[in-house]
Amino acid sequence: MDIKLRELSDEELILEFQKNNTEDAFNILVQRYKNPLTNFVFRFLGNYEACSDVVQETMIKVFRYKDTYSSVAKFSTWVYTIAGNLARTEFRRQRRRNFFSISDYGEEHSAYDLPDESYRPDVITDSGIKDEIIQKALSKVKESYREAVILRDIQGLSYEEISEILGVNEGTVKSRINRGRAQLQELLKDIYNE
Amino acid sequence: MENDEKKYEEVIKSLKGLQEVKAPVNFEADLQQRINSEKFSNEERKGFWENIFIPSRLIPSLGLVATVIVIFFVVETNSEEMDNPFLIEPRIREDIVPAGDYEELKNRQEALSKQKTITKDERVLQQGKKENEMKLSDDKMSTGKEESAEMPQLQGERDYVTDQNAAERYDIPYDSALTSATITEGFIAADSIDADTEPVTGQMMMKEELNFRQLQLSADEQKKVNELKRQVQSLEKADEHHK
Repeated sequence: MDIKLRELSDEELILEFQKNNTEDAFNILVQRYKNPLTNFVFRFLGNYEACSDVVQETMIKVFRYKDTYSSVAKFSTWVYTIAGNLARTEFRRQRRRNFFSISDYGEEHSAYDLPDESYRPDVITDSGIKDEIIQKALSKVKESYREAVILRDIQGLSYEEISEILGVNEGTVKSRINRGRAQLQELLKDIYNE
Repeated sequence: MENDEKKYEEVIKSLKGLQEVKAPVNFEADLQQRINSEKFSNEERKGFWENIFIPSRLIPSLGLVATVIVIFFVVETNSEEMDNPFLIEPRIREDIVPAGDYEELKNRQEALSKQKTITKDERVLQQGKKENEMKLSDDKMSTGKEESAEMPQLQGERDYVTDQNAAERYDIPYDSALTSATITEGFIAADSIDADTEPVTGQMMMKEELNFRQLQLSADEQKKVNELKRQVQSLEKADEHHK
């Protein structure tokens, strides 16, 4: 891989990929964003398998629709927007699936298969019980608040970037973040009291 | 803003302290594989119109069209057939007798018209008599019993006059001899008139044929007519004696 390409910014790389169809530029972008996106999507979904699929789908969309990227926007906001949309779609699909699977089995049929989570990285990473509790609490926060909180407090993006990703103004972003934090605090109050 | 961050300091700290979840090791290899399969499928992907005109996709629609056509013809052959009026052969009219030449046709027509004139006279006389009878009954109603006493003498004259009037009305030359003859014959053969006067088709129509009435007499009427007939006969005999 060309060293010069590695020195290019995200926007320069995507432009290089757009103009010259340089797949190396795309691969560098994948290397740069695969972990942040995985972290973001996993914290949003709470399911590593689904998260991996969503991130791969995000990268495929970047590859296929590279020409739709406008150099006016930051590449990070563009790629986070794609990942966020896909994550939301997947989250709703999971929710529907859970709803129907529970209603199918009912309370009387308690003996249904639980997913095997023995080799899951989320289990490994959540070795500390605190992490696991936080992740569970995060999953209970309202969808729109959760996304804003993750982008701000876990991914470390600016309010401006978050407002671009979510397509809402900064005031709404701040409001959502605060409400999300408040919900989390309420959910985690037992830990903090300890 | 700072106040908010202080307020939720612990939460923010907890979230920032979460371990970063990393992508799986084979992420890039899997991605490359998926991209290649996407590329391959894109190359094979055909346009909308190409897809429509692939023979395998046309099979169901062609099958449907063929079925519809077959059903249409099956239903059509079972339905009532309409004869084409241009292909129907004309009906043979057996009542028309072909004539050999013009002279023969002329002779035939003359004979027929003579025959018809006689029967026509009979009918006209019958009708005249009927009218006469009706008038007579009217007169009876109007003049009363005195007049009714004169009836037997006058009635014959009246009938004679009305016969003449009727003949004039129908534009027929009045011949008393013929009339009397036809009256007697006509009444005797009253039932056979219809059989004799069947409509003659395929011949020239006479003016008199165009407007005539066929009367069906009831038993009472027939009786009265017979009575009148007898009176007429007696009157004629009286005339002959007088002469």
